[in-house]
Amino acid sequence: MASVQLRLRGVSKSLNGRARQPLEQQFQSLRLTTPIVDGRRCLSTEADQTERPSSITAAPEVDLRQLAKRYKIAQNARPLPVSRSYFTRTPIFNDRYLALDHLAKTYSNLPVIPAADADRVSWKTLADLRQSFGEPVKATDYVKCLTIIKRLHTIHPELKPDAVTAALQDFKRDVQAFLNVANPIPIDKFGRALGVGKRKSSTARAFVVEGDGQVLVNGKTLADYFGRIHDRESAVWALHSTNRIDKYNVWARVEGGGTTGQAEALTLAIAKALLAHEPALKPALRRAGCVTRDPRRVERKKHGRVKARKGPTWVKR
Amino acid sequence: MIIRNFGVRHGRRVLAAPLSRSCLRTLSSSSTRPATTPTTFAEPATAAPTTTQAYAAAQAAARQAELARIPANFAEYSHQREHTRNVGSRVESRYHPDQMLLDPPHDASLEMLMAAQVHMGHHVSQWNPANQRYIYGERAGIHIISLETTATHLRRAARVVEEVAYYGGLILFVGNRKEHMPVVVRAAELAQGYHLFQKWTPGAITNRDVILANGELQIVNELDQPIDGFGKHLRDRRPVMPDLVVCLNPLENYPLLHECGVATIPTIGIIDTDADPTWVTYQIPGNDDSLRSVTLIAGILGRAGQRGQQRRLADANEGIVTWSTPNDVAKFIERDAAEKARNVAKSAEGPVDEPTLTREDFLTDEELLAELSDGPRPPQGP
Repeated sequence: MASVQLRLRGVSKSLNGRARQPLEQQFQSLRLTTPIVDGRRCLSTEADQTERPSSITAAPEVDLRQLAKRYKIAQNARPLPVSRSYFTRTPIFNDRYLALDHLAKTYSNLPVIPAADADRVSWKTLADLRQSFGEPVKATDYVKCLTIIKRLHTIHPELKPDAVTAALQDFKRDVQAFLNVANPIPIDKFGRALGVGKRKSSTARAFVVEGDGQVLVNGKTLADYFGRIHDRESAVWALHSTNRIDKYNVWARVEGGGTTGQAEALTLAIAKALLAHEPALKPALRRAGCVTRDPRRVERKKHGRVKARKGPTWVKR
Repeated sequence: MIIRNFGVRHGRRVLAAPLSRSCLRTLSSSSTRPATTPTTFAEPATAAPTTTQAYAAAQAAARQAELARIPANFAEYSHQREHTRNVGSRVESRYHPDQMLLDPPHDASLEMLMAAQVHMGHHVSQWNPANQRYIYGERAGIHIISLETTATHLRRAARVVEEVAYYGGLILFVGNRKEHMPVVVRAAELAQGYHLFQKWTPGAITNRDVILANGELQIVNELDQPIDGFGKHLRDRRPVMPDLVVCLNPLENYPLLHECGVATIPTIGIIDTDADPTWVTYQIPGNDDSLRSVTLIAGILGRAGQRGQQRRLADANEGIVTWSTPNDVAKFIERDAAEKARNVAKSAEGPVDEPTLTREDFLTDEELLAELSDGPRPPQGP
């Protein structure tokens, strides 16, 4: 009915028509232009088709099932586990383990080198292995596996087959700590070597240059900077213990901490810089205790304690 | 005398020892040191190494040289071995401990079974009376298993394994004593089955949706070639169960055999005189404590599986498929095909000729209000 013309939001304008059309125009589409004639346009349900047989035999309906058969991925298909260890708790690990076992048997006749001469490799720990495979690998199995791995690793590097190298790759740690080498300290164009040392909360940078035994710490001489003789001794102990006190000049910058910390930070800094000049001194300096960084720091205070460990005084009542 | 002895003992050491470090430290200090005359740098950085260092370096170099010679030596050794291999007499039949493992027979004769100690049961006091019909007699305090019975049961079990393999079933070989690993791995390799040489995870059949959730599956065709396009199905489907379980030590695998019974999976087991024969479907009376016995029996079953697989693949090459696609896979294939057919039909129709509606096609609020106000109202309900 034309009277029921509720226009709502969301209803298309084109559907509604912007201008209201006259009634005749609206019914235009319903008007029958072509007159009904005999034959094909007869849509009657009465059974008069027998009397007037159709000249065209229409094709049968499309059978979608038959159509779909053409698009089948496979005629025969069944699921199979990928791994032969499918029914075990640790299929990935077991496959690797069996492969390593097979390799160890296959290449058991290849010559090995002493373990000390082989490249140092950090193998995955049990925890790493569990995490990387995502499987609850048992410790005993891990130990067995590691024995095979270490045996395979000692095969002479030139004779080691690629298959072995590839199989061992899964058991190496992602970060190989043994590949990290400290950068050597360079000696610059002025003949200086810069060593950095730390102790407690002090940091020292020492420029060591060949010279006649002058030492300047933060612009002052050693005696001016360190009141305590022991600290003066400590600061240049690296030079002193190796009898190099009159052969080098030191210009140092020290920050943080107290006098002891600063003096002993200087020891380490000077020792490192000295090693840049004379690397052969390392055993002597190690024996003199100048090479190792002392990692100790002030222990933090705990709650319920007066200091780090000191307990509050206890009175019975 | 004591003092003299002391002098003799320690005097030399005192004289030889350098001044101790602490003494040096107390004696000298840089502040007290007089300004020295500038000296030339006495010892250059490339100072001659000490004798110890030189010795160590020489040692290391020698060691490296020795290691570097190994490949050449090995090559020569291999060459010599290759060229002298045919020299001398040749031993035709010699005992190889791993023969049964590497090349197991297709069938076991009674001599073979006896040589592999299959006939030896447990002490008579430990017997399970249900095994009476497998026991030949008693000797030296232990039960002797009748090898005729063993041979017939073994053949029957081998036939079962072969037919299951022929019809595309999954065969699981289980042996979880310490030495069973190579045995079950080899049997599974031959029969293209699966192995278990560790503890059975309880629930890997009855609770497999959880336990085997991460197990990787693939869909293969009749020639065992993987088929692509099942990614969605593999993501959604349930884990698979074995179709036959071969257990080399049933006594230690009660949970496994119980689950197999619950899931109606047939089992084959080596039944010693102390085991319960009702735990497994197909018994093989025999000694399950001897590694030789277990190796022989597992090897024969593995060979049977190998024959079955070979027959299956030969038939598949001629177009005979011995197994039917499982229901879940078949259902997925049908659904997938129907979806593809629909998509093809849709794309054949072409894009529908409808202009997309834009914002301008819709009425604004003002227009809507205007329309509502001047147009006739819809009839309200009573």
